[in-house]
Amino acid sequence: MDSISPSELEVATLIVETLNLEDISPEEIESQAPLFRDGLGLDSIDALELSLGIKQQYGIQLKADNENITEIFSSLASLTQFIQDNR
Amino acid sequence: MLHLIRWIALHMGRGTARSLLYPITLYFLLTAGKQRRASREFLNMALNRPATPWDVTKHIHTFASTILDRVFMMTDRYDCFDLKINNHELIAEVLNQNRGCILLGSHLGSFEVLRITAVLRRELPLKILMYPQHNEMLVRILSELNPTLSDNIIPLGQTDTLIRAQESAASGSIIGMLGDRVADSGKTVTCRFFDRPANFSQGPILLASLLKVPVFLFFGVYLGGNRYEIHIESFADQISLTRGSREQDIQYWTQRYAERLEHYARSAPYNWFNFYDYWDVQQTGVEIGSQNSVPG
Repeated sequence: MDSISPSELEVATLIVETLNLEDISPEEIESQAPLFRDGLGLDSIDALELSLGIKQQYGIQLKADNENITEIFSSLASLTQFIQDNR
Repeated sequence: MLHLIRWIALHMGRGTARSLLYPITLYFLLTAGKQRRASREFLNMALNRPATPWDVTKHIHTFASTILDRVFMMTDRYDCFDLKINNHELIAEVLNQNRGCILLGSHLGSFEVLRITAVLRRELPLKILMYPQHNEMLVRILSELNPTLSDNIIPLGQTDTLIRAQESAASGSIIGMLGDRVADSGKTVTCRFFDRPANFSQGPILLASLLKVPVFLFFGVYLGGNRYEIHIESFADQISLTRGSREQDIQYWTQRYAERLEHYARSAPYNWFNFYDYWDVQQTGVEIGSQNSVPG
């Protein structure tokens, strides 16, 4: 497992804290592994909670019509990239 | 069954179409053994006596009637119906403040009847959460019948589903969802329902806690003939889940929903359109009722 970058670790921490994940620490989330379904097993409720967390922490509002949410939330790397592009 | 009923509805008046529901009901009674058994088992409980073949027939016929009426409702033929609406002003108040809300329904009776309410009172900004894969035919029929209706559907089961619901609620829409079915992968909570444990989806309560909007209950009970009675109830101004007692809070609210559902299911047992073993905690699949909308 490759270690994740500092900015990815920051987003991973947000994921773990926002979703109150108990079985995994931020360091354990892999950069390219899927967050939803087969990967971390997150669902649509988690996506909403996460989007509210991202808005609160970074002031970024995700818009379902403008962005491909599925792609943004597909992995830690893509979510981190999106946040960096928009902050 | 849907295809046939739709064709009949589109080519005949409601009276003629309704007379054809008898052979359709009979055919269904003879061929759908699993649903027939589920119907009988439910009615045994809800009627507090052994259900007769006549009860089961009436149950299936009630279901077929509401399916037929959906076609009329979707094509804006509202003049067909005699409608009694209780407490519609509750929702109007919230909408007048330009706040969104959640309207939590079920597979008891008709959720579609909500569209009539919407049209009769005013243009209600309505978005309904439903599974397109369970409703492929319904969604296709919807778009054929009335193209504007499919804009009102937010497909469930996608990553962005509830983000879309949140955006709609924030702009003042009513989010309609049905709380009595469990999705394949969804989180559930066990509640008392007809004095037995049954699994309910946590989805509606989780969503309500995140959207921070008022929640209303909706039951569109079919009374026979062309009569429907709609019950709208205040459920919660806002649902908050406390970190330390999150599970208990979800249990509390879902149990309250289950109790209201049971109340109306007891008063209108033939309106119960979950034709499978509802109390089988292993089972999440749906059979004939799957033509209806199913939120997770």
